[in-house]
Amino acid sequence: MSRELLLLLLAWGTLVGLDLVSVPQMMIARPIVAGPIAGALAGDLGTGLTLGVLFELFQYDVLPVGATRYPEYGPATVAAVSAAHAATLTLGLGLGAFVGLITAMAGGTSLHLVRRLNARAVRRAAPALEAGDARVLIRLHVAAILRDGARAALVTALGLGLAQVARTYLAGTISLRGVMLLDIAAVGGALAAGTAGTLRLVGRGAGLTWFAAGALGGAALAWLA
Amino acid sequence: MSTTPPSPSRPRLGPSLLRLFTVQGSWNYERMQGVGMGVAEEPLLRDLRVAENGAAYRAAVARGAHFFNAHPYFCGLAVGAAARAEHEGVPPEQVERLRTALCGPLGSLGDRLVWAGWLPFTSGLALIGVALGLGLRAVLGFLVVYNAGHVALRWWGLRAGWTHGMRVALALRAPFLQRAVALSGPAMAVVVGAALPLVARYLSAGFLGWSRAALAGVGVGGFVLLWWLRARLTSVRLGLALIAIAALVGWLWP
Repeated sequence: MSRELLLLLLAWGTLVGLDLVSVPQMMIARPIVAGPIAGALAGDLGTGLTLGVLFELFQYDVLPVGATRYPEYGPATVAAVSAAHAATLTLGLGLGAFVGLITAMAGGTSLHLVRRLNARAVRRAAPALEAGDARVLIRLHVAAILRDGARAALVTALGLGLAQVARTYLAGTISLRGVMLLDIAAVGGALAAGTAGTLRLVGRGAGLTWFAAGALGGAALAWLA
Repeated sequence: MSTTPPSPSRPRLGPSLLRLFTVQGSWNYERMQGVGMGVAEEPLLRDLRVAENGAAYRAAVARGAHFFNAHPYFCGLAVGAAARAEHEGVPPEQVERLRTALCGPLGSLGDRLVWAGWLPFTSGLALIGVALGLGLRAVLGFLVVYNAGHVALRWWGLRAGWTHGMRVALALRAPFLQRAVALSGPAMAVVVGAALPLVARYLSAGFLGWSRAALAGVGVGGFVLLWWLRARLTSVRLGLALIAIAALVGWLWP
C-alpha cells in the first residue's frame, strides 16, 4: 500500500472520526459511508461496501444516548478496509473485522479520554466562563474540536498501523479453511449484532409486528432477487 | 444606567445554525453540551452588548454555557428559546429553569425521532440498496436523504425556539412532529426488518456448503448470546471472541 494511499485513508478516517460527535454529525461516520469511500479511495469499492455493510450491522447495537460509552466504528471501518484490501483473497473479511473491532474499542476509549480532558479544560476556564467571556468560550470550544480531530487521527493511525502489522505477519500464514472460519465468525457476529440491536430498538408490541412484516418482505425479496 | 435590551428585527440565525453543527465539539462530563450551546447562542446575544455596558450580554453568555444535555439536532430549539428569553428580559432564574426543563424532552424526542427512527430507517434503506446492487449510489442517496432531514430539523428547531421563546413547549406539540414520532418507529422497524435478510444474503454470497450452515449457526448462536447476556456482552466483545475462536479452530484444524 503506497504512502499516498495511507495518507488519504488517514485523512478520511480523521474526518470520519470528527463527524461522529464533534462536527458536523452528517453521518459520514456511519460504516456504510466510511467503508465504501475508503474502498473507493483504495480502488477496491467491493471490499469497502462489504465491510461497510458488516460494520453497519455492528453499529445497530449502539444507541449513542447521553454519556454512554460505545465503540467507534467509523475509523475502525477505514482501518478494516485497509487490512482487507491489501490482503485480497488471502485473509479477506475476517482479518478486516479483527482489525476493525480492535480499532473500534480503542476509538471508544479515546472518546472517553477526550471528554475527560475537555472537562479539565472547562474546569480551568470556569471563572472566565462565569464572567461571560465569549472569547474564552469560543477558544475552549475550538480547542476541544481540535483535540477531537487529533484523537480521530490517532485512532485511525492506530488502525492503519494494526492493518499493516496484520498484513505483514499474518498474510499467507493462515490456511484456506482458517480464512473461511474467520470470515464466518465476522459475518455471523455482525448479523447477530445487527439483529439483536434492531430488536432492542424495536421493542415489543406493534413495533415487533412491523419488524416481522419487514423481515418477511425482505426474505421474500432475497429469495426472488 | 440600565437600558432596555433592543428587540432584534433580524436575529443572527445563520451563524447560530452553523455553530450548532459543532454543538457537541466540546462535550465533556462537566457541562456536557453546555459550552457548545453557549457558542451557538452567542451570535443571537450580540444585540445585548449595547445594554447595561455589556453586562446583560456577558451574563447571558455565561448562562448559555451552563450545563445542558439533549439530542444534538434539537439543541437549536433551546438555543433559540433561551436567546429570545434573554432579549425579552426574562429573569435569569427563569431562563435557567427553561434550559433545565428542556433537557429531558428534547433528549427523549431526538432519541426516538432520530437515533431510533430516522437514522436506522435511512441507513436500512442504504443497506437494502447495497444488497440489491446499487453500490455507491445507495450510500450517496443515504447521505443526501438523511441530511435533508437532519439540516431541516436543526433549522426548524432554531427558528421555532426563537419564535416561541419561553413558550417553546408549543413548538414541541407541532402536529408534524407528533406525526413524525408516531411514524418513525414502525417505518424503521419495517425497513431494518427488510434489510436484515437481504444483507444476510449479500454477506453470505461467498459461502457455500458447510460454511453456509456454520454461518447460520454462528449467527443464531451469537444472537442468542447477545440477547441472553445483554447486560454483560457487547457486540464488539462477541465479534472479537468469535474471531479468536475461529483463529484457534483454524490453527488446530488447518
